[in-house]
Amino acid sequence: MIQLVRSELFKLRTTPGPWVCVAVTVLLTGLGITTSFIVGHHGNVHFTAPTTPLELRNLVGAGYEAGVVMAPVIGVICITTEYRHRILTATLLLHPRRAEVITAKVVASGIWSLVMSVASFAMVAAMGIPLLVAEGGSVSAMLHQVGPVVPGILAAYLLLAVYGMGIGTLVRNQIAGVILALGITLVLEPIIVAIFSSLAHMDVNFLPSRATQAVAGGLVPRGTGGGGGAGAQLLSWWLGAIALVCWGVGTAFVGYFTTFRRDVT
Amino acid sequence: MSVLSSAARGEPIEVRSLTKQFGKVTAVNDLTFSVQPGRITGFLGPNGAGKTTTLRILLDLVESTSGSCTIGGRRYRDIEDPARHVGAVLEATNFHPSRRARAHLQMMAIAAGIERARVKEVLELVGLAADAHRKVGGYSLGMRQRLQLAGALLGDPGVLVLDEPSNGLDPQGIAWLRDLLRRLAREGRTILVSSHLLAEMAQTVDDVVIVSRGRLRVQGPLSVLTTEAHSSMRVRTPEPERLAALGRGAGFVPRLLSADTVLVDGATPEALGPILAASDLVVYELVQVSQDLESLFLELTTSMTEAARPVEVLQP
Ligand SMILES: Nc1ncnc2c1ncn2[C@@H]1O[C@H](COP(=O)(O)OP(=O)(O)OP(=O)(O)O)[C@@H](O)[C@H]1O
Ligand SMILES: [Mg+2]
Repeated sequence: MIQLVRSELFKLRTTPGPWVCVAVTVLLTGLGITTSFIVGHHGNVHFTAPTTPLELRNLVGAGYEAGVVMAPVIGVICITTEYRHRILTATLLLHPRRAEVITAKVVASGIWSLVMSVASFAMVAAMGIPLLVAEGGSVSAMLHQVGPVVPGILAAYLLLAVYGMGIGTLVRNQIAGVILALGITLVLEPIIVAIFSSLAHMDVNFLPSRATQAVAGGLVPRGTGGGGGAGAQLLSWWLGAIALVCWGVGTAFVGYFTTFRRDVT
Repeated sequence: MSVLSSAARGEPIEVRSLTKQFGKVTAVNDLTFSVQPGRITGFLGPNGAGKTTTLRILLDLVESTSGSCTIGGRRYRDIEDPARHVGAVLEATNFHPSRRARAHLQMMAIAAGIERARVKEVLELVGLAADAHRKVGGYSLGMRQRLQLAGALLGDPGVLVLDEPSNGLDPQGIAWLRDLLRRLAREGRTILVSSHLLAEMAQTVDDVVIVSRGRLRVQGPLSVLTTEAHSSMRVRTPEPERLAALGRGAGFVPRLLSADTVLVDGATPEALGPILAASDLVVYELVQVSQDLESLFLELTTSMTEAARPVEVLQP
């Protein structure tokens, strides 16, 4: 199994797609850093150093949105590349037991998503801290928020990669997989939330992106999945994690039984 | 220095009553044959005969509808360390176009727990050492085929399953492959190699398994096809068994082609005609078949109608 995970990581490492994912994550993180310096005061918007704990958490966790977008993509790529370039035959010849292959891919895409999140934090350090100093903010106040924020972000990346991997197993087509994985979290979910959270007692918190928000913890979501309106309670972080694991492993499981066991001709 | 161990142990391949249906298409139909170590077995048949399907079932890539295939008595998925036991080259397989050839083999080595030094050895063996740093997307068909072969040999396996391995190879490449396969067989390995060209295989193989429309037509040593095959007669008769017995009695090699047709190898019209007349056998059709190997192959693979039962070789 360790050999299998290592070879899956080697596969990711020796093709451009996963590196593009890292690069895009870093770029989006840069965007997130920039927006966390745009602070509104009484209706006026300023470019200034974040000062409140909440604003500083947004700075530390500036890679959150990047992860919401890119972590599912790496999961989708990890499995759909096998179909797109017809390399599944070679993979299965080396490891004919398919459930093990799926498991190794879940682990490998999870590990790669952690690489992406580490790159994202490196971007926060490289760009966010100098910017904070330049704008006269407090670096030590920012570092105080590292402890509360980092574990949640890492977990969110990890779980979203697993979720993407599940979707990819189900649909097999790379483009369709990316569209579906992101369509659910970025488009479909806000719509569902908007419709159902206004209807009585419909629990929307188990949906993937809201579960991700729960896992990421104290971060105030910006932009994505925020359609729930005020007062929508999130799950506790561990329930959110379980919900995400269910989405990822559940879809991978269904994908395994419906498509992955099919004939490879 | 040999990069292939001479200690490799071949294991027999057994295919038993194998049937595979793709919807309404029966790709493989009650196919039974075996492949012995230390010999090169040609798996021959025209396009669509079911060769690739059979080999993919053997390697657990395709699920059979019924029947079984084993390598050394085990199903492929039950082999502990498959890359060290079985090497395969398959049609319609590909590589990631952006991955370098060396990286492809390194990936395989990691997955199979094979030492990395082996990658360089097999690259040299297949003649790709100079191009190993290139991305596979830029490889020619023949180079891809060599790369697949390198992957198949990576684990120094005792069993090789090759689906049209000479596809895309230049004449030197084909000659090289032939020598390589001979050497591997001499070392005691099991080699099953498919082709739709008998002529190309005739100089390479020891045994043949000929299929057509998913059914077995002939299995046996190549000599089954070549002995006394200078001339033969195709006879359509309501009594094929009696004809076969008569043919055998006269020293010919009769083969049942379909329910009512027998190919009598070695016979000429002058030799067979009097025998038929003397035994009062009813004959619907009597044709002399020109007997180079290729036309015999065509005969064997095209003359069967859908309704015919599988052909057995009626041997002495
Ligand atoms: N995935 C599939 N779905 C439907 N039919 C298939 C599939 N794969 C193969 N077949 C059919 O099964 C039959 C056997 O095909 P196969 O590829 O095994 O032949 P082959 O002997 O390898 O031919 P060739 O010499 O052209 O490679 C053909 O009729 C083919 O159309
Ligand atoms: Mg074929």
